[in-house]
Parts: sequence; C-alpha cells; structure tokens
Amino acid sequence: AAAFERRVLRRAAEHHYLRVRLELPDGGARPNAAQFKQLVVTALRELHGEVGAALPVDVLTYEEKTLSAILRVISSGLVKLWSALTLLGFYQNRRCAFRVLQTSPFLLALSGNSRELVL
Amino acid sequence: QNILTVCFSVGYSAVALNHVIDFKEKKQEIIKPVSPSELFPSLPIVQGTSKRIKVLTRLTLVVCDPSHCNLLRSTSANIRLYDIIAVFPKTEKLFHIACTTLDVDLVCINVTEKLPFYFRRPPVNMAIDRGIYFELLYTPAIKDSTMRRYTISNAISLMQICKGKNIVISSAAERPLELRGPYDVANLGLLFGLSENEAKAAVSTNCRATMLHGETRKSACGVVYTVKKPRKVEEEETAVPACKKAKTQA
Repeated sequence: AAAFERRVLRRAAEHHYLRVRLELPDGGARPNAAQFKQLVVTALRELHGEVGAALPVDVLTYEEKTLSAILRVISSGLVKLWSALTLLGFYQNRRCAFRVLQTSPFLLALSGNSRELVL
Repeated sequence: QNILTVCFSVGYSAVALNHVIDFKEKKQEIIKPVSPSELFPSLPIVQGTSKRIKVLTRLTLVVCDPSHCNLLRSTSANIRLYDIIAVFPKTEKLFHIACTTLDVDLVCINVTEKLPFYFRRPPVNMAIDRGIYFELLYTPAIKDSTMRRYTISNAISLMQICKGKNIVISSAAERPLELRGPYDVANLGLLFGLSENEAKAAVSTNCRATMLHGETRKSACGVVYTVKKPRKVEEEETAVPACKKAKTQA
C-alpha cells in the first residue's frame, strides 16, 4: 500500500486576491504601475489613515492598456482595502471608479470568470 | 440613460429612478414619472437568469414641516404612479411621524450633514414592525471627505439603535462613474457596522422587500379574509379544505 499523507488546512487562507479595473473615462494620461500602487495607497490613507496605508498590499500584475490589475492583500485587511477602493472618487482631480471584478482567497480562481461566459 | 447602462453591466437586477420633491420652494407639483419604457425599448436580461431587469420609479419628499405630509394623504393621481415612496425627515417630530403613521416605504437618513436629532428606540422599533426601511446613501462618500465622516457617523448611530435590521443602502448617483457594484456596496455595509449577513441583505433582500411593500401599498385598499366558522355537521368536514384555501390576506 502506497503511503500517502492527507493535509487538512483549517485556517483561512493567508492572502486574498482581487482583480480590479480602474475606469478613467477621459482620455488623459494613464497611470503606470508605480502610480497605480501610489493610488491604492492613497485610497487607503484617505479612508483608513496611516494604519490603513501601511497595510501590506502588493500589485501582482498590472496592464496599462486596460488599467486592470491583480492585488494581493493579507486576509484581515480585505474589508479595509475593498472599502477604500470603493470609496475612491478622484485620481489627479479626474473622476474615476474602481470596479472589483473578482475576489478570491486563491489566485487560481481568478483565472476564470463565470460572469463572462457566453451562454 | 448612461447610468442605467452601467447599472446593468455591473450586475444589478432592479433599479429605481428617483425624483426629489423639496417643499421649501413654493408651488411644487408632482409631475408624472418618466416611464421606463421610454428610455429603453427592451430591457436587457439579468446575468444568469432569464428575467428582465426591472426599472422602477421612486419619489422622495423632503419634509421640513408637518403640513407637507398632507400631500401623501391627498388623492393626487400622480403620486399613485410611483412605485416606491420615500420621505426625508428633517426634524425629530417628523422622523417620529414618518416612522409611526405615514404611509411610506423608505425613510431616508441624512448623510451629508450632522443629524440634528438623535435616534430614539420607540419610533425605530415601530418602523421595523410596520415594515419601513431606513435608507443610507453612499455616493456623497465618494465625492467628499467630510461627507464620508458624516455618512459613517450617522450610519453607526443608526446601527446602534436598530441593530442592523431594515437597512437599505442605495446610491444617489448622478453620473455613471459614481455607481458601485453590489458586492462593493455590501462591503461598505461592513464598514457601517453591519454583520456580513445583514450587509448583503441590505443590498438584496431588504430592497426586494421594499419593492413588495410599495406594490402592496399601491394595490391594497382593504383586506378581505374568510374565517372558518365552526360547524358541527359532519358534511362540512369535506368542505374544510376548500375554506382553508379561500382564506386570503391581501
């Protein structure tokens, strides 16, 4: 009999992953990756202050053409990050909006989007 | 119309268009609501189901004076054309009147300035019993940082009194960019102090209950119910199931 080992993880996952898209309707300059990260940190600072801005957030991928990104945040900070992104209204005095497309504790789950299925 | 298109793409299944009446100006007349079929010849289908998206009309009355409430009791034909009626009380007395006696579906809670009155438990409990929901707006929080503070502080004080029941979160969006997806709004509910369950209900279940409340308000003018009379004749036993089916409560 082959020996196998079964591992059961009872704790929730450490990180949560969010796929977001920034909507900037006017045809101005698009932020690059560093400016995007700065925007996320600014949003956190505006809503949750210095403690929020210190939340460990990583931008895993960023596409400048579509302004969409995958963010990683520690699980306890998901509510703070998500609410900060929701309430962000302006980027350099231009109106903008963050649309959170998918969120999951597993990065693999972000690869398929059931809402974009064409039935 | 752009806003509605964005709503549909973000994933809402029912949208209400608001019309605000402010009584400070003189000679306010209630105009007929814009019919949704004028805006969209055919409404798109909700993602994942086969039903069409509903577009409802809604009226908000900003009242500063008890005499303004007379409008609700008047038989103005146009008021009946709106699906949902909301009232925005500015004083404590009006809040009490709105929760206890007025025939409305929603009571709006001011988020743009410090509340001039504190919530008290008796009128809030009566409103919950009557099926009236309290409404919070989130769009001012996107525009301005002082309004953010007022929104959150007013929401938290409301939560302490009503313990998270009967809350509806809605947007007063004037531009398509001020709209946020349903899960984002449910997350904002968590910020206000709701539990996860209540926050999701604030966007989904409670809104649907408000719609149904509006429908019953429009349709019900009286209640007819049949009561089973106790008969001792044995033949009546076969008729009992039919009586039970006929017992209706409008």
